[in-house]
Amino acid sequence: MRTSKETLKINSVKEKLGSHRIRKFDTFHLITYPAVIIVFILFVWMLLVYLTNSIPAFQREGLDVYLKNIWNANENPLKEYYGVLAAIWGSIYTSLIALAVALPLSLSYSIFVVDYAPRKLKNILIITSDIMAGLPTIIYGLWGAFFLVPFLKDWVMMPLYQYFSFIPLFSQKPVSGFSFLSAGILLGIMITPFVSGVVREAYKMVPFTYREAAYSLGLTRYESTKLLIGYIKPATYSGVILGFGRAIGETVAVSLVVGNSFNLTANLFAPGYTISSLIANQFGNSFIYSHMTAVLYAAGLFLFIIGLVINLLGIYILRRWKKNVSL
Amino acid sequence: MYHFNFREFKESMFLGAIALLAFIMIIPLLHILFMVFMKGITTLITSGPVFVAGTLSEGGIGPAILGTLILTLFASLIGIPIAFAVGIYAYEYPDSIIGRTTTALLEIMLEFPTILVGLFVTQIMVIPMGTYSAIAGAFSLAIILMPYVAVYTKEAMNQIPFTFREAAYGLGLSKVKTVFMVIAPIAKRGILTGLLISIAKVAGETAPLLFTAGGLYQSFPNGMDRPIGAIPLLIYTLVQSPSPADHAMAWGAALVLMIIFLGVFIPLRLSIKEVKL
Repeated sequence: MRTSKETLKINSVKEKLGSHRIRKFDTFHLITYPAVIIVFILFVWMLLVYLTNSIPAFQREGLDVYLKNIWNANENPLKEYYGVLAAIWGSIYTSLIALAVALPLSLSYSIFVVDYAPRKLKNILIITSDIMAGLPTIIYGLWGAFFLVPFLKDWVMMPLYQYFSFIPLFSQKPVSGFSFLSAGILLGIMITPFVSGVVREAYKMVPFTYREAAYSLGLTRYESTKLLIGYIKPATYSGVILGFGRAIGETVAVSLVVGNSFNLTANLFAPGYTISSLIANQFGNSFIYSHMTAVLYAAGLFLFIIGLVINLLGIYILRRWKKNVSL
Repeated sequence: MYHFNFREFKESMFLGAIALLAFIMIIPLLHILFMVFMKGITTLITSGPVFVAGTLSEGGIGPAILGTLILTLFASLIGIPIAFAVGIYAYEYPDSIIGRTTTALLEIMLEFPTILVGLFVTQIMVIPMGTYSAIAGAFSLAIILMPYVAVYTKEAMNQIPFTFREAAYGLGLSKVKTVFMVIAPIAKRGILTGLLISIAKVAGETAPLLFTAGGLYQSFPNGMDRPIGAIPLLIYTLVQSPSPADHAMAWGAALVLMIIFLGVFIPLRLSIKEVKL
């Protein structure tokens, strides 16, 4: 039997511990919760700003905003009419070209760096790729506008146009060089480090026993790599999806090389628009017109939702794959 | 007798091809560095010290350099405390519902189109204030900065072995003290590196400043509620100009920006093993 004194003591200790525990709980949350709430509020606020500011555009034009390719900017508000289909198409098209450039490069880079590159070369390659990922995008834009575009025009577009203009993709004469192709290739160069970041990390995680097993079967390095690439397929998909998300959101570099004109065509050499370059180009003077701002916010909303869906999908696939691997 | 082995042939073709493609991947960077350096150095030499100190009409980008420093400083002041706290929360509660949502939100914001952030800040700050301003630009950059800092903080703290936490709790320290006085100081190096890489990254951002900072190149910035310039923004404007003199200025400005970026990035990058960009 405990004496009453002991019980009292135990109770007071319990009380102390309890109150202490509550205080601990409180201080930590007092510091971190406001910050977490601020971040959530910012995100929701951003979504709300895009929703509310684009409503006038939907009320006036309905889904024509997304489904038509018209750009009638007029002093007279009654004659104004806008549809950003060409920009949506341009965003998707240039991002797909970018992936076509980035995927083979990222896969080879990851395989080479993880499995075959000598140690020193490996470090240099990894650091170079990190610099590429962090380099200010405006520098890519500057280089793209003054070097890549003329280079592609003289060495890629002109020959293709001269000899293969019977193929619809190459049928338009490259006038300035500013085109879907230039934008796509520049974007491809820019997203390669991101895609290879995801792929390389995944390829590194493949358990070593798989490699041992492949070699013990007598497979050549080519055959075993093919096997291992199959193993990281989901991670590759998510790398591709995240790369697409990056490419579709990129603004300044693209707007300097894409040519900025409304073209709804698959022709690689035609100048075009992307959603972000449309906003970058038109938003500054959209306040002169009565209805343009709302349309640009509607275009932004589209980009917002695409960005959200694509990133969630990419992150989800990657997480699920990582969980399976670590099991 | 010579025996042609198709498997071996495929093997060597394969090895050659991936090595070649891996090098093709880094060629653009080498060419960009080379070209920015060559073209930029010409501008810098012909303009002399005026280039980094003078205003645009004097042939310099002084206001833009100062603008970038001011914007980055204020973006850090706004963004880092919030991001640090969010990072700590995400580290402390990786499995709770709020914690998982926070982590997912951070990853989404990390990949989010930056122009959308700029347009958002235009709507909530520039239009009510009636003018482009340095504070709007800084706020815009702070939103871009936050997810980077938070993710770096979280990952740096994740590197610390769990036994340190056990030891801290064993000494009777509270959760706050454990995180702020034990784990954070041990992870100091990783956190600081993450901070600096994030700052170097936002210093080069253009899109969020397009409709928030406004641009100011003929005089030096004079107040947070007034328009301000930035190097990336200036380059963007100059590239679109038809005059070759402006293009030369753009290359010079790009060299300055690149030196700032590489000057921060390379030493940091060499001091750690992995980065997430």
